[in-house]
Amino acid sequence: MTKLRTEHLTRAFLGLVAVNDVSFSMEEGEILGIIGPNGAGKTTFINLVSGIIMPSSGTVEYKGRDITYLPAHDRARLGIARTYQLIHPLENLSLIQNVMVGSIFAKGNGLRAARAKAEEVCASLGLTGLDRDTSKLTILEIKKMEIARALANEPEVLFLDEVMAGLNSDETRELIAQVQTIARERKLAVGVVEHVMGVIKELTHRVIVLEAGELIAEGPYEEVSKNPRVIEAYLGGAA
Amino acid sequence: MNRNLARVVATLLGALAVALPALAGAYPLQVARNVMLYMALAITWDMLLRSGQISFGIAGLFGLGAYASILGVIRAGMPAWASIPFAAAFSALAALLIGYLILRLRGMYFSIVTLALAEIFRIVIHNLHDFTGGPEGIVAPQGVIFGGSASALYWLALGGLAVALGASIWFERSKFHFALTAIRDNEIAASTSGVNIFSWLLATFVITSGIQGLLGGIFVQSYGFATPDSVFSADFTLLPLAMALLGGIHGTVGPIMGAVLLGVASEWLKLQMPYGHLVVYGIIIIIVILFMPRGLYGLARKMARPAEGRAE
Amino acid sequence: MALKRRATILAALSAAATILILLWKPSVINNGLQQAGLYAAIAIPMGLVLGIVHIVNLAHGEFMMVAAYATYFACRATGMDPLLAVLPAAAVTAAFGWVVFQLTIKRALKAPELNQLILTFGIAIALTQAVNILFTSQTFKLQLDYVSASIDIGEDTFPVWSYVFVAFAILYAVGLKLFLTRTTIGKAALAVGQNPKGAAIVGIDVNRVYGLVFALALALVGAMGALFLTKQSIFPSVGSPYTMKSFCLVAVAGIGNIPGILGASLLLGISEQVLRGFRDTRAWADIVFFVLIIAVILGRSIKWRKS
Ligand SMILES: Nc1ncnc2c1ncn2[C@@H]1O[C@H](COP(=O)(O)OP(=O)(O)OP(=O)(O)O)[C@@H](O)[C@H]1O
Ligand SMILES: [Mg+2]
Repeated sequence: MTKLRTEHLTRAFLGLVAVNDVSFSMEEGEILGIIGPNGAGKTTFINLVSGIIMPSSGTVEYKGRDITYLPAHDRARLGIARTYQLIHPLENLSLIQNVMVGSIFAKGNGLRAARAKAEEVCASLGLTGLDRDTSKLTILEIKKMEIARALANEPEVLFLDEVMAGLNSDETRELIAQVQTIARERKLAVGVVEHVMGVIKELTHRVIVLEAGELIAEGPYEEVSKNPRVIEAYLGGAA
Repeated sequence: MNRNLARVVATLLGALAVALPALAGAYPLQVARNVMLYMALAITWDMLLRSGQISFGIAGLFGLGAYASILGVIRAGMPAWASIPFAAAFSALAALLIGYLILRLRGMYFSIVTLALAEIFRIVIHNLHDFTGGPEGIVAPQGVIFGGSASALYWLALGGLAVALGASIWFERSKFHFALTAIRDNEIAASTSGVNIFSWLLATFVITSGIQGLLGGIFVQSYGFATPDSVFSADFTLLPLAMALLGGIHGTVGPIMGAVLLGVASEWLKLQMPYGHLVVYGIIIIIVILFMPRGLYGLARKMARPAEGRAE
Repeated sequence: MALKRRATILAALSAAATILILLWKPSVINNGLQQAGLYAAIAIPMGLVLGIVHIVNLAHGEFMMVAAYATYFACRATGMDPLLAVLPAAAVTAAFGWVVFQLTIKRALKAPELNQLILTFGIAIALTQAVNILFTSQTFKLQLDYVSASIDIGEDTFPVWSYVFVAFAILYAVGLKLFLTRTTIGKAALAVGQNPKGAAIVGIDVNRVYGLVFALALALVGAMGALFLTKQSIFPSVGSPYTMKSFCLVAVAGIGNIPGILGASLLLGISEQVLRGFRDTRAWADIVFFVLIIAVILGRSIKWRKS
């Protein structure tokens, strides 16, 4: 079943077209890689889909419903959740309270039910010491907390924007396994942005490639990684 | 241990507040009423501040409630006691309209429009002089509520404080705490977690303004008259602000501490410096915001809990 | 570009309205223009600070009030004409502003906007009340002959002295434009305003620029304090409406749009005078700015929702 679909999605910033005519779809249970060189428009694409910014043109559809101009908080309620490339902890709430926010507002749970839900989600990510301030957390814990906050929304579609960045290889391996388990158990559609191709290769069923805002390739990682246009985009970007 | 201490202090303060009419004469009761009034205003100001929005409009919504109450009695024949909840409803309604218009653009726009509110309401009251009594003010013919009994007026003020305190504690223990803190910390993360920022801010602005209106009603009924200069006085914005900042913002305890400290001092100051005693509050505000933005309660908590190692 | 278009529309509308009113009640235009000049000349420095230092100075009008008081007592003591005091008042207010900036505002530049608002609000109160303690709430006024200068056209008499405010407003707008585009310091200031981090990287001392811009703005406000005194009575809270009206004008023009402030001031000045032109509406003139700012905020939030 198609969870999320965009048609000709476009967003320009003062002449710079950050996302250009992107049409794609995401299926239930699918882990989709979103890759592309720096500045390709990956984060902007997630911002458009999660409602942080509005598109210049094109449409976004969630489970068959047009949500192109729906505010972010309503999309969260429908079942779209995300994390941020630059961490967005709520500093004046504790770890568990951060996670509860997702459950309280996206699901409309009472505080007690939200706490139970948050504890469950934290357990699935191996988070402990739940009453700590966010200032006491390690980077890995903050990243996990943000995933937990998104999961507490009980989403059907989840975007992870460079969650592995800044983690060492053991931490990365641990998180990959957890994300895989969670996606499987909750039948989530997950969109993953990562620069480390090892992660993409291991985690995703399919990838889309953005370059300068345009979708230039799509398919399983093995296939796409041999695509000459993709190779050139990466080499061109690196040079 | 810390929590027990807080409980003991709270119980003592509560007992003192209840016992005071039996112990003290008319003047101390009058001072206590003023302190409680400013404390309640300080708490309501802080409640909105927990979302990161600053209102400079306390005096405006307070004064509006005061006029709603006294005009309700004089022009609509309300009983004095009923005019007080009416004042709350009136200020809340005004806040709903204003908030609906301006809470979409926030930050400085919201703050500066609220700064103008007292002045705007004052002009309106001036100009509708046939209805409001204009610049000279208006006197309730039947005089002060409860026949001016000092202890009854004290209980009324305590009741107003109880409403503010109750609301503030409810905010701290309910979804409001999560919504407002999330909005203050990071609006983007809040909105993608499902927080409808506009609605929560509007609700908070309406509730706190309603309580400010209620306090205005209590104030005006305790004196039996209103003039634009007395009920829209800058005191009602400045003192609560200085009290909450000095005590410590973003919680119920700080404004209470600040009000106890500054409230008593302000009565003394008013006698010492009939002109310009407000300069003290201006200076307190400057010093606190520059050197201890978490206030005295924040300092106390920091000292009680020595710095632990930070994980990196 | 959107700014320019808005400014043009605003200017065209104001011009059309002006011509209509001119035909119908010429004194409204005469007074409105002069009032607009006063508003613009005071608002432009606030726009400068907001555009470059990114701080709303809620003590803006209060600094003008302090300058006016200083000028008043200097003139009373020496018998000097306040017009001669314009430059000294500018210099003294700039120095005062520099000190206030170094002692307070500089420390709050990195703090949340909330702290800055409360800080400058505290400064405004401290200034007003300090003057209140020193001189009580009594009003002071200088009696000057030349301010009643007027021109007779047909039956009507038109006072003209306050056109000096218009001259200053235009001088400020043009002068700032030249300063920001032609001089090295001005260009640096503009760069800092647009991108403080980038400016720091290329070696501009950002805090120094902020301090200079703040002092420059206060020089302009200080000059207006002396000029204000020629015509108006002064009392401790005389500055506070100008703080709010200045912010209103800057917001209407859009932050960073100094010429737009001239247009917005015309709109405010003339609308107020239209209301003052009738006995029944006279007392409502002082809420025009409030209606204006609400209308602008509303207009902008509608545009937001569309985009
Ligand atoms: N709010 C904005 N205003 C102006 N330009 C923007 C804005 N957001 C993004 N851009 C520009 O859009 C382009 C795409 O940025 P985006 O952050 O989406 O890229 P990305 O693929 O996520 O890159 P990275 O891998 O570095 O995270 C960049 O050129 C960026 O500078
Ligand atoms: Mg990115």
